[in-house]
Amino acid sequence: MAELLLDSDIRIWVFLPIVVITFLVGIIRHYVTILLSSEKKVEMQQIADSQALIRSRMLRENGRFLPKQSFLMRKHFFNNEQTGFFKTQKREPVMKNPMTDPSMMTDMMKGNITNVLPMIVIGGWINWAFSGFLTTKVPFPLTLRFKPMLQRGVELASLDASWVSSASWYFLNVFGLRSMYSLILGQDNAADQTRIMQDQMTGPAMGMPQDPSKAFKAEWEALEICEHQWALEGVEDEVIAPHIENIRNKSI
Amino acid sequence: MATCTGWQDAKDRLKKIREEQRRCSDEVVELWEDILWDFSYKLGSEEWIIYEQVCIAACDCGRQGVALHCLGLLQTQFPNSLRVRYLEGLIAESSADYGRALDLYNTILKEEETNSLVRKRKVAIFREQNKIVKAIEELNHYLQQYMSDFEAWLELCDLYLHEMDYSKAAFCLEELLLANPYNHILHQKYAEIKYTQGGTENMELSRKYFAQSLKLNPNNMRSLFGFYLSASCLAQKGATGKTKKDNAEYAKAAWKKINEKYQMSSIDETESKTELLALQGMLESLQV
Repeated sequence: MAELLLDSDIRIWVFLPIVVITFLVGIIRHYVTILLSSEKKVEMQQIADSQALIRSRMLRENGRFLPKQSFLMRKHFFNNEQTGFFKTQKREPVMKNPMTDPSMMTDMMKGNITNVLPMIVIGGWINWAFSGFLTTKVPFPLTLRFKPMLQRGVELASLDASWVSSASWYFLNVFGLRSMYSLILGQDNAADQTRIMQDQMTGPAMGMPQDPSKAFKAEWEALEICEHQWALEGVEDEVIAPHIENIRNKSI
Repeated sequence: MATCTGWQDAKDRLKKIREEQRRCSDEVVELWEDILWDFSYKLGSEEWIIYEQVCIAACDCGRQGVALHCLGLLQTQFPNSLRVRYLEGLIAESSADYGRALDLYNTILKEEETNSLVRKRKVAIFREQNKIVKAIEELNHYLQQYMSDFEAWLELCDLYLHEMDYSKAAFCLEELLLANPYNHILHQKYAEIKYTQGGTENMELSRKYFAQSLKLNPNNMRSLFGFYLSASCLAQKGATGKTKKDNAEYAKAAWKKINEKYQMSSIDETESKTELLALQGMLESLQV
């Protein structure tokens, strides 16, 4: 594989501009998101529900440290057929349909506009403006599988996989500059796209937005099968065991 | 008291206190007055949060002037903020203007129902005014929604103990045990409440929980004494022969252990002898 020599103009006019553009767009995105973001209101009901679930879970995990009576009392409070918490608290399944719920709709749109749109626009522009260039070379050798990833827009079968085209360099920058953003903008910044993509997958942790009744049912079942194994059975004997030996030995 | 050399140091120290959520209000106010007040223009992005921190610390120390100064600055910057109104309520509380504080908190709650800090402040106000029953009522209402708030259960337990309602206090402590099952002090406290309630069943529970506390921390002298007391009480009132014998063994073992601990801790020979004699006398007089 012959050593390719890149024109040094490429360094000044392609390599660095792409880095600078990605970086600045990220920062602009951060501030725009802050301007456009709406505060998320947590419902009282949601908090109460999530706290009740936490309490029930703790009862299941650590109930063996309580006297049997107390444990049964609490289990009864949660699970009883007529008066139990999980049975009587009926919640409307608040299925936030993205199509009909206006606030969710605007949130989604804002998210799309600030994140996806710039990426597409700038990606496309770079592809058009800097097409056909090889921008840089990664310093380590790579296998052929990396070629489609790193050489978008440059289809040369014989080209070494270490070479990176301009469009791919742009994408590498988008992901690579994340740590730079946290240095400059502080943690938790809106320019961090991958985090946003993660958020879309995991969903909110605080309230129980989607289906409290389902969560209640699951918790009810889990609590129902839970039995009370008292952890304190015979604990006194454990504590005084070394001394009992001494007393018995002495009295002999 | 840490000695800070310069505003940078002071700022870092305040940040550390904020992050660790420690309550060293004296230090905060001192740092503010000595160092940071003159350098407030250098605080940068942390300016407002430092004002908030100093305001709360000043209320804690009773330094009205400092607190009002910080409040004024925050109010000019954030005129309609609920957080600033909360600070205003804190200052009103610290100057014993409870009516005004309650009004402020109620207005905050009207706008932001889920603010748990404000609800807890209301309970604190009732407690300060010695309206324990009202405080208990308010706290119960709070706990119906925030069921797993550890601090709130602890406070409710304290309030019930104040009212000498031991069964309810025991209930609150059970909640705490669920949250922190490996905390030996909680077990000890629960055992003490059960011991106070009295009755054979409670006494047995108390003995068990003292033992558990000892298992978690063998150096807990209070639990050791508690264990001895509950065991000897049961030994004297024990119905059947077996429980009487068991309890007598427990009591004897506990007594031995107490003696050992006292022997280990004392340095001087003669001092240890007099201490042990005193201990023996005390233990014999403690026989219920």
